[in-house]
Amino acid sequence: MFNPENLIRKGLPKGHFKDLVVRFVLAGLTYVVVLIAALLFAKIIMDGAPVLFKAKAPFVDFEFLTAKNETLHVFDDAQGNRHQLPASRYNDYLAKYEGAPIFNEQTYSYSGGGIAGPIVGTALLTIGSMVLALFFGVAAAIYLSEYAKQSPFIHAIRLAILNLAGIPSIVFGLFGFSVFVLAVPVITPTPSDRSLLTIPLHINHYVMSFQGWNSSLMAGCATLACMILPVIITASEESLRAVPQGFRDASLAMGATRWQTIRKCVLPFSLPGILTSSLLAITRVAGETAPIMFTAAVAAKDDLPWQGLKSPFDILSSQVQALPYHIYTLAARIPSSEYTRRAQYGSVFVFLLLVASLSVGSMILRAKLRSKLKW
Amino acid sequence: MSPEENPSDLAPHRFQKRGFSYERAIKYFFASNAGLTIVILALIIIFLLKEGLGFFPGYQRELQVYRIAGLEFVDISRKNLTAHEQLTSVLNRAYYAEINGRCIKQMRRSQEASALFNAYTDQTGPTRDLVLNNSQAASSPNSEMLKNLKANYEQQKAKALASLTATPHLTQMERRDLIESVRSRAVNDTDDPLFVTTLAEEFTAAQHKQAEPLQALRSTIDSFSSAGSELSSLVSEMTESVIATKEKIQGADILEKDRKTLLAAASGAKDPVEREKLMTEARTSLADKPDVEGPIQLLLEHRPDCIKAHTALRDASTRIIGQLPSSLTQLEAARLLKAARHSWPFFIADLEKTPAAINAWKPDAPVPLTDSISSFLTGKDWVTGGEWQDFYGILPLAAGSLMISIVALVLAIPTGIGAAVYVNQFASPWEQSVVKPIIEFIQAIPSVVLGFIGILVFGTVLRDISLWDSLQWIPGFPLEERLNIFTAGCLLALMSIPTIFSLAEDAINNVPSAYAEASEALGASQVQTTFRVVIPAAFSGILAAVLLGFGRVIGETMVVLLVAGNRIKIPDFTAGLGTFFQPCHTLTGIIAQELGEVPMGSVHYRALFVVGILLFAVVLTINATAHRFVNKMKH
Repeated sequence: MFNPENLIRKGLPKGHFKDLVVRFVLAGLTYVVVLIAALLFAKIIMDGAPVLFKAKAPFVDFEFLTAKNETLHVFDDAQGNRHQLPASRYNDYLAKYEGAPIFNEQTYSYSGGGIAGPIVGTALLTIGSMVLALFFGVAAAIYLSEYAKQSPFIHAIRLAILNLAGIPSIVFGLFGFSVFVLAVPVITPTPSDRSLLTIPLHINHYVMSFQGWNSSLMAGCATLACMILPVIITASEESLRAVPQGFRDASLAMGATRWQTIRKCVLPFSLPGILTSSLLAITRVAGETAPIMFTAAVAAKDDLPWQGLKSPFDILSSQVQALPYHIYTLAARIPSSEYTRRAQYGSVFVFLLLVASLSVGSMILRAKLRSKLKW
Repeated sequence: MSPEENPSDLAPHRFQKRGFSYERAIKYFFASNAGLTIVILALIIIFLLKEGLGFFPGYQRELQVYRIAGLEFVDISRKNLTAHEQLTSVLNRAYYAEINGRCIKQMRRSQEASALFNAYTDQTGPTRDLVLNNSQAASSPNSEMLKNLKANYEQQKAKALASLTATPHLTQMERRDLIESVRSRAVNDTDDPLFVTTLAEEFTAAQHKQAEPLQALRSTIDSFSSAGSELSSLVSEMTESVIATKEKIQGADILEKDRKTLLAAASGAKDPVEREKLMTEARTSLADKPDVEGPIQLLLEHRPDCIKAHTALRDASTRIIGQLPSSLTQLEAARLLKAARHSWPFFIADLEKTPAAINAWKPDAPVPLTDSISSFLTGKDWVTGGEWQDFYGILPLAAGSLMISIVALVLAIPTGIGAAVYVNQFASPWEQSVVKPIIEFIQAIPSVVLGFIGILVFGTVLRDISLWDSLQWIPGFPLEERLNIFTAGCLLALMSIPTIFSLAEDAINNVPSAYAEASEALGASQVQTTFRVVIPAAFSGILAAVLLGFGRVIGETMVVLLVAGNRIKIPDFTAGLGTFFQPCHTLTGIIAQELGEVPMGSVHYRALFVVGILLFAVVLTINATAHRFVNKMKH
């Protein structure tokens, strides 16, 4: 059969072998990365999943998720059985078998009990910072996409957003520490010594004192919100701009004001997009350690954040445990041994599960959104 | 609406009536939120500078005290003493590396046997102690309990014997015998097994045998080591006196500061009685100016002794370099000897310069502010919290950050860009839809998790690999430290690959398809099109991707804090490529590690903020350059 191809090419084209080698090398590089990522996840899942999941119903070890974090005591009893008990149950044991001999006792800080404190702390930090960042970020994005025209002010804002997005997280930690922990104003009857400036308010001896919020949930949320703000603004502006111009024109032509247009014709259509991309921002907020090290996080805390408070608002000014900081403590501050593995890999597994579900969720939502909203 | 239409006739529309000002207020509300970004950026800069700039005057005062109290004078001699000690230690290491290298077989055998035995005792030790304690302590031991304990011990023993370490340098026979002797040990036997001690003795004997021909080297090293003793005793004598002077000056400084606070409080006090009280308090606390002249004169009397000690040391060193062998047989020993020989002339040159420096030193020379700036930027020591003197030199930290970035980028650039080219140009749509999300998902892994993996898994795996015999040709193997520049670099490479990958892929994707079509129409193959047409067109975008990856690596904190090894020292570059296997500390790591521990407002605290300013400036410069490349690509 006549094939015009035969007239041009006979056999393999020149340099075919070289092409194959180049393709092979590039594919190799790509799959090496994929393989390394797979190995990493496999290692964490292999060591972490047994901590969280059990063979028997209900299949999930809820105790690990809901118990407080405690020191782990490891010891042998007189029968030579090895016990691993968190501090509270250890005390119960001592009270129950009073006088019974105990051998080879070892203690491991932060390794006993569960990780309820860190989980709750991370959730509070994430919620607080996302509320702040979404409020200010979406408002800024509305200005940038709906009101702004070319002006030096807009140019400065865009430059600031670009620069904020590039600042290393540890510098945000320094910033949060020097501003939110040490310098922001509070209203109090008794200003502290390190207050930068006190302004008398003439109401019951109350003064406004620039002494900061100390290391607290508030300070941590504010720092994280500043860090994530540029991401939220960029993502929200993108989804606001994705709403077709015709929607706005139609609304304005009907006599609606700008604000009414934004509220009724732009925001409702861009909200799914904004929320989807803020899911991705949540993974970043939940995963950062450096900004909260000095502004909010504490390695060990006996109570959950809402326990032992005088008023509900005190929760904002108390320190919290956080999952990434907890992992840092487990990795860096305590010697690794077979008894600490449960706490270490369990925490990492739960943390990764959290982050993975958030980012997979955002990927799926984005794909759905793209197919649904087509104008 | 124009005035000719006579607006008063028309009833204003309700939107208009409600609001020009209302609409405007909403607009200004949004504008102010957008302006918040500028405010935050300004606050970051202002507060970093506010805390940071106080560092330089504070550090200037510390350097002043360093000079006035005479610490600087002692450091002239101490520097040489340290160099001498380091040289001695390098020579000693070379000597032992030579000996151990010559009897490497015996060493390995002995090490493996004792490692096996130690692993066994570590595992069985606790249960064994239990058995022992209980059978001795009580005169009539609880037999039931003792039986339990013994059973437990046997169980532990069986477990330990089942999981013994590998011994590649022992024969099958020897291993079997060793295990047998371990198994048949009595519970209360505390001696090492005979085989282990025999091997240790064999090793010692071999060492002695190999040391015979090296006796000349040994005595040379010993004579060099003792040549520094005179200087050493002199330095320790002077150290005591200058530290006392320094403490006096610092005490006076603190009193002076308190007095100023009191005076400020006095001028602010409204009540005249209270003011008078504060003033008297301030006056009484007026510190005596500490006497620094006397101690300094005493110190300067040591000048001739110092010079004499230095001359003696120099003469000895010049003599000894001639007596050292030109080379050694073992690789590691030869490298160490070469390093010592290489730095020897510098050491002698330093010694020669020292007498002049000792004579020229003046306690009352001024310390200008520029000195504190230059010694921060070019200082080779970051020493804090010591008794002697705190130094804040950025070089060790910057060197660490840079070395880690080099490793990370060398690994990440080819991989990231290669993967981007493959996925965009060669991969099937199915491959694209699988590979892209996976690589992008790596970005979502929190850095602390990567650091955790590095410290618990990767570091250990890497060190085990470095013990393989077949890899000993790699410089720096076997690893001395589990956590080092290379480990941190590898993990940061993994972190920056997704950044480089997605930005480079975007850049390649943005090349107009007409370019590739034209090239293919001219008969170019796909590989030719990719490398000759598409990549050059996307080049500035790819460069921006690499720069942004670099910015990410430099600014990353948690991984380097956990994995870099945290030793504050400029890496020893004489080790060649082995330099990459040394531990280091970084700009980001030092802030994270020390900020929580320093007293607020101290010079050390401010130094950390200056490091932050530096980091901020570097990362912003990198990002700005990257964005310039991106904009270039768009036009």
